[in-house]
Amino acid sequence: MTTHIIMVKKILADGAPCRKCREVYERLQRDGLLQHIDHIVTADPRNPDSEGMRLAARHQVSRAPFFIVRDKGGNERIYDSFLRLKREVLQARASTTEVALDLAERFPELDYI
Amino acid sequence: MSTNLNIEQLATHQEQNDPVEILRVALEHFPNSVISFSGAEDIVLVDMALRIRKDIQVFSLDTGRLHPETYRFLEEVRNHYGIQLELLSPDSRELEQLVRTKGLFSFYQDGHKECCAIRKVAPLRRKLATVDAWITGLRHDQTPVRASVPVVQEDTAFSTPEHTLVKFNPLANWSSAQVWEYIRDNNVPFNELHRSGYISIGCEPCTRTTLPNQHERAGRWWWEEEAMKDCGLHVATPEPSRPKPAEVA
Repeated sequence: MTTHIIMVKKILADGAPCRKCREVYERLQRDGLLQHIDHIVTADPRNPDSEGMRLAARHQVSRAPFFIVRDKGGNERIYDSFLRLKREVLQARASTTEVALDLAERFPELDYI
Repeated sequence: MSTNLNIEQLATHQEQNDPVEILRVALEHFPNSVISFSGAEDIVLVDMALRIRKDIQVFSLDTGRLHPETYRFLEEVRNHYGIQLELLSPDSRELEQLVRTKGLFSFYQDGHKECCAIRKVAPLRRKLATVDAWITGLRHDQTPVRASVPVVQEDTAFSTPEHTLVKFNPLANWSSAQVWEYIRDNNVPFNELHRSGYISIGCEPCTRTTLPNQHERAGRWWWEEEAMKDCGLHVATPEPSRPKPAEVA
């Protein structure tokens, strides 16, 4: 990979990652993509100075997990959708369920179909 | 598909039209369109459309977890109207994988999105890839998310660079009272669950009755309010310290 990828995950009061962060981490592991994540940092809402919280504030991201992708020129792009990161950066194929899940999360009106 | 159709212009023209007129426009402009029927009061769409055309396509999402009453109602609709109601099922491999790894009730812990993605969104996406337009029973008064839904729109969720999908919401401006007035006036069959206090009807484990004046959202995924906030990245505000008993005294 010619890019540097940071994953920002949130931890809860008991120190465990939030539900979505845990799921995304498991998917990275299952799909053999974890090796492409260079750095994982933690956002602890109880500590605004935690690295993850500072990055979230700097990039104005309100939900975890998210990814910061830095190219060779130092340009940064933010991915708050794992599906987009998987397809566009990691060049991996998304499963039918992953595509459907991404739709369900981005279009809440689909809840009531 | 109707080509060179300006969707925004069409939406503006149809915004104040009554549902039957909007349906007529949808069916005329898009012969390859389909009605999405949830098994609830959106039955009025089927009834209205059949007065315009007899060969309409209608589908329902059979998640495998619907109430027995809903399955009976789907069959009643099929017989009453003499239509081929297409039932869309989830992909068996994806579903088996979910149940194998997380069990039958994972939505109570993990939220409903993953289960809905497999049982509803994926089959819906598969179906919508084969049509040019779909017709839904979305209404402004159902949920805050739907408050601004237009009567006609390009479907940004399911359109692709190669395939534009148009979505018609003929009932958008109707209230629940208007829908029920239509059902009564026209002797339209309805899901018997409505008699038992159900307003919004979905899968059995994720639906419950609501009290009078409660929003219908209260009857769906009621356990998620707190659980789903746990991915937000907002600085936690410490709880204000309460005076100790000794300080009160």
